[in-house]
Amino acid sequence: MEALRLYFKLIRISMQARLQYRADFIMGLLNIIALNAINLGMIGILVYRFVDLNGWGIWELVFLYCLWLLGHSMYSLFFWHFWELEEYLVQGTFDQFLLRPASPFVQFLGREVQYIGFADVFVAVSGIVLAYVNLGLHWGIATWLFFLLVVISGTVIETTLTLMMACISFWTGRSSMAVDLIMEFNMLVQHYPIDIFGSWFRVVVTGLIPVAFMNYYPALILLHKVNQNVGWWVGYLSPIVALLLVGMTAVVWHFALRRYSSSGG
Amino acid sequence: MKIFWSFTRQAFQFVAAYRFNFFAEIFLILLRMYGVYWVWRILYTQRPGAFGVDLQQMITYGVLGMALEIFMWSRPQMYMARQVKSGAIDTDLMKPLDFHFHMLARSLGETLVALAVLAFPAVAIAYFVLGVNLPPDIGTGVLFAISLVLGYLVLFHLNFLLGSLAIVTLDIRHISWAYYSVVRFFGGQMIPLWLFPPFLAWLAGALPFQSTYFIPMSIYIGNLTGTEAIQGIGFQLVWLVVLVLISRLLWSWAHRRLVVQGG
Repeated sequence: MEALRLYFKLIRISMQARLQYRADFIMGLLNIIALNAINLGMIGILVYRFVDLNGWGIWELVFLYCLWLLGHSMYSLFFWHFWELEEYLVQGTFDQFLLRPASPFVQFLGREVQYIGFADVFVAVSGIVLAYVNLGLHWGIATWLFFLLVVISGTVIETTLTLMMACISFWTGRSSMAVDLIMEFNMLVQHYPIDIFGSWFRVVVTGLIPVAFMNYYPALILLHKVNQNVGWWVGYLSPIVALLLVGMTAVVWHFALRRYSSSGG
Repeated sequence: MKIFWSFTRQAFQFVAAYRFNFFAEIFLILLRMYGVYWVWRILYTQRPGAFGVDLQQMITYGVLGMALEIFMWSRPQMYMARQVKSGAIDTDLMKPLDFHFHMLARSLGETLVALAVLAFPAVAIAYFVLGVNLPPDIGTGVLFAISLVLGYLVLFHLNFLLGSLAIVTLDIRHISWAYYSVVRFFGGQMIPLWLFPPFLAWLAGALPFQSTYFIPMSIYIGNLTGTEAIQGIGFQLVWLVVLVLISRLLWSWAHRRLVVQGG
């Protein structure tokens, strides 16, 4: 409880710091929207020419893209600075977290809000609403709850994977390449249904870097799609995958902190 | 010339110092190539031979596009924005070297190194793993090389213009996200312009971005040949001249109203 109170206080401070640059904020929002519009435009052109992508129509692809983006948006709002962990370590900023009488993790968590992420929320919600209407979906309350759970799991999956990769810098001093690597798999999974790729790729994004649980597997359920190679229940594993990753991340973080030696910043 | 080589050496030493990053970067490029490879493969199984070029050509196009992503790595506009922000730009301006030329030498050095140690090896690996075409004949290869250089120069000047903007707005970080998407999209880095719907194709055909990816890569796969190829190169040349002129004008204007922050 005490940790939560502290977190919100820190978030409020970061928010105020960010809000000083109003024009910067608006530029950021517009640019994120433009970037996503262009990405969706690319997918749109492919489908315009080829009708569908391995059985996925345009609105199903929009749904897939935006389901990933909605999970990602919470990550980009609250946890974006995780990939900068190496900067905190290299410059010695991390020392101050250890000196104060509060959990270093909570302090690190509350360090920044990247609220340009609101643009992600905007794009994702609009895309999902459009897809929902155009696909003529009718979800019951249970499906909506599952959808919500999927979004939260998506945020958790991306956040924990990023944090674990960023923790590499406790050992090596550098981690941005490892984080980029996760992001690259993410990009492919966000844009295309993974059933178009070769088998090793599907194995990697399911078992090793399980980002396919952010959108692909749950989308099969939410869109009533069938993939012969995937059991009907696989999508329901998303929350479990997320929980497992939380456990792993806690362990990694614990060891990483023990490993920490200041750069003397 | 000497200045140019010193930047090339500098860029190369940077790569050598971060060897792990180098391998990771190659891996990332290969991963992206793998992505486009499957997208085109699946789409062609659905509708074989529907669009003028065959699957092999399309994969070659996609693979080249991913390799030439390295054009985006040299970011003179970021350098300019950083220097303006920190006030260190005054040291650049005091150098007995034309600033525009300085940026070009720096960027060209970085790009050549990236081309040699990243793009070329990645394409070589893709040649064996994914099966990429070589240019159909030597003449095509030469035209491709000329067009590629022009494509790089056009992109450099677009970057330079964006960097000059940094002097007015002081922050171009956010603009550059959308900017790169625009370059990729209208440049036809992944999807060639002939697949665009009519209006977008018309728009992309008028904008300078197609110089960077679409024209050289279409020449490479043999889709732009003969007079069409020459026309493409002419298009690049015209845009290059226009952009150089605008760059010189804009820079001298921006230079005059430059505010150095306590430099």
